[in-house]
Amino acid sequence: MNEPLARDQELLLNAYLDGELSPAEVLTIEQKLAIDPTLANAFVRLKSLRNRVAASLPRMTPPPGLAARVDRAVGARSTARYDWMRLAASLIVAAGIGSSATFVAMRDAALDPTAGAVAAAHVRALMAPQPFDVASSDRHTVKPWFNGRIPQAPVVVDLAAQGYPLAGGRVDVIGTTPVPTLVFRHRQHLISVTAVPAAASGTTGPALRQIDGYRLVSWSRDGVTYWAVSDIEASDLEAFGQAFRAAARESS
Amino acid sequence: MNDKERFQSVVQPHLTDAYALARWLTGNAVDAEDVVQEACLRAFRGIGGYNGGNARAWVLTIVRNTAFNWMAKTRAHVTLPLDDDESLQPTDLETPEAVLSAKTDAARVEAAIAALPDGLRDTFVLREVHELGYKEIAQVTGVPIGTVMSRLARSRNRLLAVLGDAKDDSHE
Repeated sequence: MNEPLARDQELLLNAYLDGELSPAEVLTIEQKLAIDPTLANAFVRLKSLRNRVAASLPRMTPPPGLAARVDRAVGARSTARYDWMRLAASLIVAAGIGSSATFVAMRDAALDPTAGAVAAAHVRALMAPQPFDVASSDRHTVKPWFNGRIPQAPVVVDLAAQGYPLAGGRVDVIGTTPVPTLVFRHRQHLISVTAVPAAASGTTGPALRQIDGYRLVSWSRDGVTYWAVSDIEASDLEAFGQAFRAAARESS
Repeated sequence: MNDKERFQSVVQPHLTDAYALARWLTGNAVDAEDVVQEACLRAFRGIGGYNGGNARAWVLTIVRNTAFNWMAKTRAHVTLPLDDDESLQPTDLETPEAVLSAKTDAARVEAAIAALPDGLRDTFVLREVHELGYKEIAQVTGVPIGTVMSRLARSRNRLLAVLGDAKDDSHE
């Protein structure tokens, strides 16, 4: 049943699995898969191995003291890992992550404790057994859950088709205000989107910030400031923000 | 921006990735922490040489090199990754006891990955854990893309050989 493949076929099949083929090559191999049971069987095995590995991989989370230890090692100013207000003021960095779509904000982060608080809530959630209070990929479950817990349920969008399935929701407390946070998955990463009441009602952003390795993209709309926090690449987080805004516009 | 600030913007965001790779390569948490710290020191000293490209790949390259150096110094049995494809024949495949004795499938998979030879394990982990593309893996491991492809194929063949097909597990 599991006959060995020719070497070039095998490499091609692996590259197909890894999404590394050109559209023309994809077409060719999909045609071959349709008519060659040996090849098709080999692909099923590869796919099931990938799923099995993905389901088994333990999260290799660094110990909490590592960042501080590294800071000390390089002689940087020692920072308490979770002293977010201070971090927000001291660790704002902007080099090399500028992009045409995003205004890179350096100036106001020190004055904006919300950024630090939102990042802290995301990290705290990651350290909890579950990063959300209600686990559901169904927005019609998540949205009602917020009703009764907070004054206004957030806009809950479905981004599964864009590669960001909903994982759940939780209530964070920013300052003394309970606010809704949606949690999306992207590959093995989590993205928290926290909706904080804004002082003004205008539309602003998006703005990108970085706090201690986490990236934040924020934008305001209709009196609410949305904060997307994750450890994914800045460009990926911007793409997520765009998808979120586009879906929110459609649903309103 | 001074070196410290540059380090914080280029290296710090990838500490989680750095730790995960070090953890997979060294096989334990204590060594992984030491490797990350050592790698960060190297990155700090070499921050002037960072050319503004893919920061994550740059950091992972340093972590990988540091991990292999670290293991070469501290362990007798380490096999540095070899560039020729024939260096790792299936004949030296040893089914580790850990794989057989592991109670859960997840533990078996983890043990099987940990038992991959050094030249295959880093490639496989960069692909499946860090989700790097072939080009980035080639950059981090310093080999041509063709070698990356064949190492990935061999890693997967090995894992399938050691683990068996998932659907067979229930009959064991």
